[in-house]
Amino acid sequence: MAVQATHPIKSGWYHTWTIRLRLWWRGLVELGYELWQRPIVLFGGIVVVAYLLAAVFAEQVTAHSPARGSLLLRFQPPAWEAGGEWAYPLGTDDQGRDLLTRIIFGARVSLAVGLLSVGISVVVGTALGAAAGYYRGWLDEILSRFSDLLLAFPFLIFAIGVMAFLGPGFANLILALAFKGWVEFFRLARGEMLAERTKEYVDAARVAGLGHVSIIASEILPNIIQSVFVLSTLRLGSMIIMEASLSFLGLGIQPPTPAWGSMVAVGRDYLLTAWWVSTFPGLAILLLVMAINVFGEGLRDILDPRLKIE
Amino acid sequence: MNHVRIRPVSRTNRLAVTGIVLIGLVLAACAPAATPTSAPAAPAAPAQPTSPPQVIVVSPTPAPGRTTLVVALARAPQTLDPADHRHRETETVIRDMYDGLVTRDTKSGVHLELAESYKWLDDKTLEFKLRKGVKFHDGSEMKADDVVFTFDRITKANAIESPQAHTSPRKGLIEPLTSIEKTDDYTVVMHFKAAWPVAMQMIVHQQIVSKAYVEKVGTKGLVEKPMGTGPFKFVSAKTGLEEIVLERFDDYYGGAPDLKPVGKPCAPRAVFRVIPETSTRVAALLAGEVDIISEVPAEMVAMLQKVPGMQVKTVAGTRPLWLEMNVKQAPFDDVRVRQAMNYAVDKDLITKKVFNGLAQPLAGPLSPLNNFADPSLKPYAYGKDKALALLTEAGWTKDASGVLTKDGKPFSFVIDAGETTRSLAEALAGLYRDVGMDATVRVWEYNVLQPKLLAGERQAYVGDWGDSAFDPVGHMEAKWSSYKQGSTYGRGNFSGYSNARVDELILKGETEIDETKRHAIYNEAQKLIYDEAPAVFLVLPEAIEAASARVQNWEPASDSRENLHDVCLK
Amino acid sequence: MKVVKILERVLTTIPIMFGVAIIVFFFVRLTPGDPVDIMLGRSGAVTAEELDQLRHQFRLDKPLEVQLWYFLSDAVRGNLGYSYVRNKSVVDLIAERLPATIEMTLGALLVSLIIALPIGIFSAVRQNSLLDRSSMAGAFLGISMPSFWLGIILILIFAVRLHWLPAQSRLSYDVQLREVTGLYVLDSLLTRNMPALVDSLKHLVLPSITLGAGVAGIVARVLRSSMLEVLRSDYIKLARAKGATEWQVVMKHALRNALIPTVTVVGLQVGVLLGGNMIVESVFSWPGLGRLVVDAIFNRDFPLIQGSVMIYAITFVLVNLVVDIMYTYLNPRITL
Repeated sequence: MAVQATHPIKSGWYHTWTIRLRLWWRGLVELGYELWQRPIVLFGGIVVVAYLLAAVFAEQVTAHSPARGSLLLRFQPPAWEAGGEWAYPLGTDDQGRDLLTRIIFGARVSLAVGLLSVGISVVVGTALGAAAGYYRGWLDEILSRFSDLLLAFPFLIFAIGVMAFLGPGFANLILALAFKGWVEFFRLARGEMLAERTKEYVDAARVAGLGHVSIIASEILPNIIQSVFVLSTLRLGSMIIMEASLSFLGLGIQPPTPAWGSMVAVGRDYLLTAWWVSTFPGLAILLLVMAINVFGEGLRDILDPRLKIE
Repeated sequence: MNHVRIRPVSRTNRLAVTGIVLIGLVLAACAPAATPTSAPAAPAAPAQPTSPPQVIVVSPTPAPGRTTLVVALARAPQTLDPADHRHRETETVIRDMYDGLVTRDTKSGVHLELAESYKWLDDKTLEFKLRKGVKFHDGSEMKADDVVFTFDRITKANAIESPQAHTSPRKGLIEPLTSIEKTDDYTVVMHFKAAWPVAMQMIVHQQIVSKAYVEKVGTKGLVEKPMGTGPFKFVSAKTGLEEIVLERFDDYYGGAPDLKPVGKPCAPRAVFRVIPETSTRVAALLAGEVDIISEVPAEMVAMLQKVPGMQVKTVAGTRPLWLEMNVKQAPFDDVRVRQAMNYAVDKDLITKKVFNGLAQPLAGPLSPLNNFADPSLKPYAYGKDKALALLTEAGWTKDASGVLTKDGKPFSFVIDAGETTRSLAEALAGLYRDVGMDATVRVWEYNVLQPKLLAGERQAYVGDWGDSAFDPVGHMEAKWSSYKQGSTYGRGNFSGYSNARVDELILKGETEIDETKRHAIYNEAQKLIYDEAPAVFLVLPEAIEAASARVQNWEPASDSRENLHDVCLK
Repeated sequence: MKVVKILERVLTTIPIMFGVAIIVFFFVRLTPGDPVDIMLGRSGAVTAEELDQLRHQFRLDKPLEVQLWYFLSDAVRGNLGYSYVRNKSVVDLIAERLPATIEMTLGALLVSLIIALPIGIFSAVRQNSLLDRSSMAGAFLGISMPSFWLGIILILIFAVRLHWLPAQSRLSYDVQLREVTGLYVLDSLLTRNMPALVDSLKHLVLPSITLGAGVAGIVARVLRSSMLEVLRSDYIKLARAKGATEWQVVMKHALRNALIPTVTVVGLQVGVLLGGNMIVESVFSWPGLGRLVVDAIFNRDFPLIQGSVMIYAITFVLVNLVVDIMYTYLNPRITL
């Protein structure tokens, strides 16, 4: 006997998303519980938040200027070494600028570089990947070939080419990073889409009369988002380090804007004498990237339903 | 999301980590908080002396055993063909395998090498008598034919046949040479198109190859297996000339008789290694892997001097630094502004802080060590007030926020720099910001920047230009004469400076033999350039090199050459 | 049957190669900076005729389509052109440098596997323990810092302070070695040259650690998550039920399957590493492809850039093909 729905199956954006919101809230509470079970992951998350706060409230937290220094104060060692003073706790760089201040302000640039490049990669890659995986056909063919092509291009050369073409600068740097970065998300989203689209709930949605875009956006995407999210936290770290590599080649952020990558790269010539100029920004990168990775990996563990069965 | 309870973290683990987190937070809270102020203040200068740079404690150089002398270069040589390059490191390596008619000592005096004597037959004709019994590495004797062949190969068009026929890039160094011929087996005569006062200095830079050998093996063979008359003979070279191994030439005629010791080289083997990364190069020296390194940054001098036995030597630099301003555009089209730019720079501070005291101020367009530098010209003294007065005269006044403005537009410009001058550029930008200008720095790849500079598209550029001959020729016409495309004149003129009288003087000085007259000519040219200030005349840094305790008889040379003839390894 | 499939795969790489060739061709020509200007800018005085002559030699005066045609038709015949700056054919230049890069890649791979395999396996087996979390954090250390920084610090510690390992290059100058393949470790073994073997290994250690640390983190992560998935699967339960020891379960059954995605990632990383790593090569003065290519870019040495990118792309694609073939051996149910 055919089952009759007792009330009409409501669908559409509003309904779907309010239900989702409620589920998410519950999910967040559970997430918090899970994090509490994993202190190291929680610690990673705290560190990430601390960095974000530092970046946002840089002016309030620092006493010196990040861009102006005095040559008379060049290469002051950190406060605990001979010749250092607590006014400049981590020492000064080659222009006499306070290193701690520059590191805190540098969080802005480095985080912005990471977030923007990953953000663009995620949006473009996921959208294209989902579309390619869902519609298949010529769209899939072209996009897949193109992504293979880009993948076969060595990143550093590509980045050098793009930067040489567009010139140095913040926006161009992000463009260069995102241009290569979206491929990974494309592949991921496409793979997940291929797996998901054969599942029953997609058929159910189609039967219910939803259009293709609706289906992708409201049904499939939320299932894909988790793995996309975790990959993006991992990529965030590597984008920040890419900035350092490009600075090593002279293509990074221009002075005097503080960015950890260029600080480490520029300071490497002084590693034998004024080691702090390169080391502390390096440690800042290290700590943040590790925290992001640990947190991202932990999140993956928590969110991945396949790992739940003991 | 549904979940089944996962295995909980053990209690001890959780306590441990919570403890660590709490301790971390407590420490962070107790660290001396930087008191937030509303406006970031420019830091006040402390009265205390600068602290000594960190010292990397190293054990003294490891026990001797190695008899090979190892030199680390900052850049790889481009080729081993003496006629096919314009590159300092290349010449450095080549000159240990090839000798020239004349050579230089470390103080840049010229001495006879392969030539036994020379005589100016007239203003435009130069005769060299060659030393007898000088052997090439293959045993053949060097004769006049080889000298003629060498110079023809450099001056004739398309004389170098590999990989495709092209003219020697070194031709421009002996531009006035029109022809050379041999009068007998040990005598050659050179003809110049005009009197050339720096002839001897420039002939230093050409080395003699064997005619028979090059004709037999071709340029390709010459590059693969160099063969000269120098103190060391070629053994092998690794890919890309990253490592070049040389061996003592036992039949070496002795070298320039003026430069003692004369005879075979002391070291049985010598190796040139390329280590482009500065920190690695110094680390290799500290670790005892290399014996001599070039291009030591000024910051490392104090640290190296603390290492027992380490020799750190400086030598008169040959790369003066200027900040050239685009004289064809505002704001630098006004001479008062340019002079103000000069007054606004505290050269003492730059010398002390950026170069660790190892530099001297420039008093004009020529390096103070140049033989024709005008001693009566004094460097622009540091004076912020003087600078501001000139700027006011030129119409620039400070607005409410302290930035100089004229007709509503702020005084803002970009200082272009290459990677090596970045630090100096930033320091300068800081000094200019102190005066109220909006100065920023942009770091470029030199290859991309250079055409833009010549096209007048940029505003200010801080860079150097080599002056290794200590004579205005080879330097002044490149830097301060009007730019003429396709010629040597003005090829380094990044300010767009053009003064007809200066151009005239430069041409005259190239062909004037009389020293007194040359001094007068160049003094006038320098004064003009000084007054018109197309550039901020900065400093002349010293060249710094270092060698381990085992190295003896070593002196760095001002033309960056690593002359290994006399060097011994204890 | 498999051979046919392999051939199919190889054929699909051809359009990719063409695509790469065309992209890089236009890429280098559109970036500012003229190679002839740069080359002759070094020489000082250059007449207009010399400039034109060089342009003609390099075929830069011809229209773009013609240049592209020359490039492609030469390339399919194995001629990747002649370097503008280095007076050697591109193929020769790359062949000279390739062994050094291969050696460093293999060294890095070895180091990363030594680190990542144990960490990946034990972290999965002891999931969520302190060991798991901290060793994963440790594995991430490698990908969390710029490689040049790690490299210089390793040099400072091991070469300058401890004098245990050399700071640069591949071989000490007073060590003789007859080159057979260009891979010094292999050559020392082939020519039974013990001093050279020890020396070349010593030189390989620090660069391998610097590069391998980065790869280790990625491999450990992937291995761990795929192990976790496999350990939850039904047939592992079956193996346990059948009485296999934990060791057998983990090593024989689980690892085999967990290696599949791991091998993909390793393959990807090898492909990346084989392109040469300019930064680590610079720090250790390692004469590999990375520095060659970046120098070529700064000199706008078009043929060398084009040729290197082509070689890199071919390597990358081939490595991925090998990985896919290995797949089928690891899990017979997966077809090419």
